[in-house]
Amino acid sequence: MPFQDHEILETLRMFELETLDIRTTTLGINLLDCADPDLESTAEKVYAKVVHHARDLVAVAGAITADLGVPIVNKRIAVTPIAWVAAASGARDLTPLARAMDAAAKAVGVDFIGGFSAYLYKGFTRADLALLESIPSALSSTDHVCASVALASTRAGINMDAVARFSEVVLETARRTADHGGLGCAKLVCFCNAVEDNPFVAGAHIGVGEGETVLNVGVSGPGVVRSALERLGPQADLLAVAETIKRTAFKVTRMGELVGREAARRLGTTFGIVDVSLAPTPAAGDSVSDILELIGAERTGAPGTTAALALLTDAVKKGGAMASSSVGGLSGAFIPVSEDSGMIAAVRDGALSLSKLEAMTSVCSVGLDMVAVPGDTPAHALTGIIADEMAIGMINSKTTAVRIIPVPGKGPGETVEWGGLLGTAIVQNVGAFGCARLHQRGGRIPAPMQGYKN
Amino acid sequence: MSRRFLTSEDVRRAGSPEIVVEPGTLVTPQAQDEAERLGIAIRTQAGAWSEPRPDRGPDAQRAQATLPHLPEPPPDEEETPTGVVVTAVGRNRPGILAEITGLLQEVRGDVLSLSQRVTGQYFHLILLVNLPAEASFQDVKQALQCLGGEDDYVVRVMHERVFRFMHRV
Repeated sequence: MPFQDHEILETLRMFELETLDIRTTTLGINLLDCADPDLESTAEKVYAKVVHHARDLVAVAGAITADLGVPIVNKRIAVTPIAWVAAASGARDLTPLARAMDAAAKAVGVDFIGGFSAYLYKGFTRADLALLESIPSALSSTDHVCASVALASTRAGINMDAVARFSEVVLETARRTADHGGLGCAKLVCFCNAVEDNPFVAGAHIGVGEGETVLNVGVSGPGVVRSALERLGPQADLLAVAETIKRTAFKVTRMGELVGREAARRLGTTFGIVDVSLAPTPAAGDSVSDILELIGAERTGAPGTTAALALLTDAVKKGGAMASSSVGGLSGAFIPVSEDSGMIAAVRDGALSLSKLEAMTSVCSVGLDMVAVPGDTPAHALTGIIADEMAIGMINSKTTAVRIIPVPGKGPGETVEWGGLLGTAIVQNVGAFGCARLHQRGGRIPAPMQGYKN
Repeated sequence: MSRRFLTSEDVRRAGSPEIVVEPGTLVTPQAQDEAERLGIAIRTQAGAWSEPRPDRGPDAQRAQATLPHLPEPPPDEEETPTGVVVTAVGRNRPGILAEITGLLQEVRGDVLSLSQRVTGQYFHLILLVNLPAEASFQDVKQALQCLGGEDDYVVRVMHERVFRFMHRV
């Protein structure tokens, strides 16, 4: 037998009991050639090209699962930021393009299509503004479309005009999807240092340097890491903890590498990257929060949480780096407050505050994710929350993001149930004070010294 | 003229009973409907247009050529690339090995190696099997995974490449 019994049993245990799976295979499709002076024609081309390329995606993923035995949970599509595709049309309302993306996603059977996006970190083009203003309409009239904007970068600084305008867009999107607890905002995210090859939603899109088509993979292994740490036991020192996480992350990421190569081969496209991020789900045992508590924080949000998260994120990256030929995307630890059962409990029990979440984002890769705030949060407070997150990313040359959901009609401590992968959220308290003057000033926070590397 | 797409607007402006496109041009569904409505034929030099196979882009062809050269953990001598790992875990009782190997005999699987351990009431059994080229991995997997049952044993079948990728560098 070329393998030891324990190796075979370990792999099977990961899949059967520890919720190891491929979280997503995301096909990236460049849509720049869909530009047209007529918006309806652009929409036609977008639909036709997405369906043309993604038609086989679901079937190929199914065949890989059938042939190898590795489950692939989600099949997704990422496209070129639609603001660039729409620019030639001069249109003010880009909702028809969102509808075309939505129809194409339905036609091929994927659960999300990302890329209703614009890069705003240096300034607005007419099309950028059109995209931003179309977001509430686009997200409230489609099911599968995800939108994202890049508001800042280490090289360009923070476009505070864009941040202020984006805060208003978030509130409007929440209002328009009030019947679903502001769910539209769960499909909307802003970035500092946006990555161009992220396979996860809501930020997935195909950035400026990418090719015609590409296949990117995201793996999911919080349950596997958690089980490994449980077996390690509470007596082991932190170096042993880091080493255990690293070795486990290696094995998890290997599945992503295998599936990525297979999917690219079968689709006839380029194998892009494996995003090695630890991505939790609401399912029991599949929680990043549980891992932080196993490392040693009494509850997620207590002192020690940021250090534990730093250890975890770094160990995941190291193990993942050896495991894959091309690591990319966000590749860190996700701390979505509604999608992780342990995080939800920590908020409910008062262990995890918005301030602590913000601190945690300085060492992991995603930022404030799936944070529910009161529906009557003023725009300037949102501006402040977003600007803080952008500043952390800008100064530390890392990616940060904000996916924030003002829940209409709910106040701090109240629960909103979105269901499925999006989970349950507890509305957080944003505090009594805001930053109306910061919001009104607008302008640009200039690029920091960290951006001057020549 | 080489165009990426033919849209319904292009069809409306054509002003002729026939539009000639390249074989690689993508004709949108709306364009096809509009052409049918107006009685216009869409064709290539060679004949009627039909949807081309997806051209994944300039990188894709080269990527397909280089993908097989990405190093993989090499198989051991005794394995072959069609190797399948069958694992059974559960309560020990007489007849389990016969049930599994009996099914493997039906599909003409070749058992390359076998490992078994009984601990108390429970057992695990691992077989490395080479399936004949004509066998359907899906069908064999389905059949094997239906063996056993609750309070009995569970069978899982995975391609040996999965284990090789995870446990070898």
